[in-house]
Amino acid sequence: MPDDLAFMMGNFEARIPQDRVYSKSHLWFKQGEDRWRVGFSAYSVRLLQDVYFLDWAIDPFTDVREKQKIGEIESSKALSDLYAPSAGRILEFNEELLNDPSAINQADNYDKGWLFEMESEAQWLTPTEYLQVLEDGWEQTQRLIKGQLN
Amino acid sequence: MADKKLTVVISQAQGKNPAKRELEESLAAALLMEPELEVSLVPHLYDLSPDHTGTLFLKAIPGDMVVLSWLYPRASHWVLDRQGVRGKEGIVLLKEEINEDEQEDPEAAESKSIPYENPERQASIPDRKIYSIDLRVSSNPDDYLKEIKRLSQDAQVQTFQLGNLIQESPKPAQIEKYLQPLDIINAQNNNPPNNNGSSNNAPIQLEPTKRRWYPVIDYGLCTNCMECIDFCLFGVYGVDQGGQVLVEEQDSCKKGCPACSRVCPENAIIFPGHKTPGIAGADGEVAGLKIDLSKLFGAPDALEMAARERDVELVNDGRDAVGLSVGVPTRLKVSQSTSDELDDLIDSLDSMEL
Repeated sequence: MPDDLAFMMGNFEARIPQDRVYSKSHLWFKQGEDRWRVGFSAYSVRLLQDVYFLDWAIDPFTDVREKQKIGEIESSKALSDLYAPSAGRILEFNEELLNDPSAINQADNYDKGWLFEMESEAQWLTPTEYLQVLEDGWEQTQRLIKGQLN
Repeated sequence: MADKKLTVVISQAQGKNPAKRELEESLAAALLMEPELEVSLVPHLYDLSPDHTGTLFLKAIPGDMVVLSWLYPRASHWVLDRQGVRGKEGIVLLKEEINEDEQEDPEAAESKSIPYENPERQASIPDRKIYSIDLRVSSNPDDYLKEIKRLSQDAQVQTFQLGNLIQESPKPAQIEKYLQPLDIINAQNNNPPNNNGSSNNAPIQLEPTKRRWYPVIDYGLCTNCMECIDFCLFGVYGVDQGGQVLVEEQDSCKKGCPACSRVCPENAIIFPGHKTPGIAGADGEVAGLKIDLSKLFGAPDALEMAARERDVELVNDGRDAVGLSVGVPTRLKVSQSTSDELDDLIDSLDSMEL
């Protein structure tokens, strides 16, 4: 397996492992037998920082449309709704996180911090493509954050 | 002394929520026992029409007042301002708790846009304070009593103001309401509450109001950029003789539609009845300090949402949807970030930690 790619967010290095694929909405997707396991990329986690609260608005095994709201997350820095990354079917949620969402945080986000599993026919981004998305979007992300800080 | 009294107005909740009614009534009952307070009850501030007795009563109050309502304080203040009940914002300590680490960064406050200055408007604000308290902050009447007593001690009620009022020939209705406060209060005076503070009166009947829906401008934030005028295609907004934006045709506003508030770059447009705190007038600090990352995680953006909401109302009116083609802000300019700024940004995220 090639080395992880990295994206510099200021002084912070967001790792992008090459054993999986990504979405524009900053999730990673790891291929299982008939499903994708989905989690937050290091980029998302860096922006969120410590996650306090995670709540899903839909039941397991629900069909979803792209951009359908599926849940909410609150962290020390941010509040966000969460949206389906593509049309498909959400299978199971990571039960561990509902009691203690801290596994989403930095060290475990690519592993124990997975969010849910889903069936999807969508075409995801390769690590290199995702890195490009981050580079292209970084300025806008800063504007988004600054606009809200000011 | 009668002329040193601080006026306390309780504005009722919309609907008939028994828990809310109970808080209103036990507060009214307890406040009536305080000799230095003048207590009154009016319907929900947002629903008061200009000729409602409640509105006339509020307009006739000469000095400082405390207004208890089921609204964010900012919404309450500017709804009153819109109705011609004006004054300076009094500082209330009883409010929604904001964590220490979420307090507004002074530097961020400095970099806010400067509100539009309208000297005429400034000069026309009477020199008295209006203290707005949100009744959702606590369900315990004692918390409110304590705060109102504190305010009552601080309040500078100026005794000559009643004289001014009379010299300025107020409308007959104002005098009537001043001399004869709302009937309900008199009724309660004649029928004092029992010792445990709960009221045993018959249900309170005020002149009925209709539900209304219209934007309220926070002139403490508005920069007069006119984007709301450009965006609203229903003619709600207009400009006064001094060139300042105002809500001109509030009844042209589409019930449930908050689109102009999303478009406002200063969050100066309040729809007190909207479910989103930021739109309903929660303090900017509360809404703004937790970054909303929904956009990054795939949400449609606020402008897109505003345009969709507007399209729904246009189609309902038998007009054509216009999407993002009309009245969309042109302010989306490219920032000149350097890599230094970029590091500062990330550092500022860190420094916001506990």
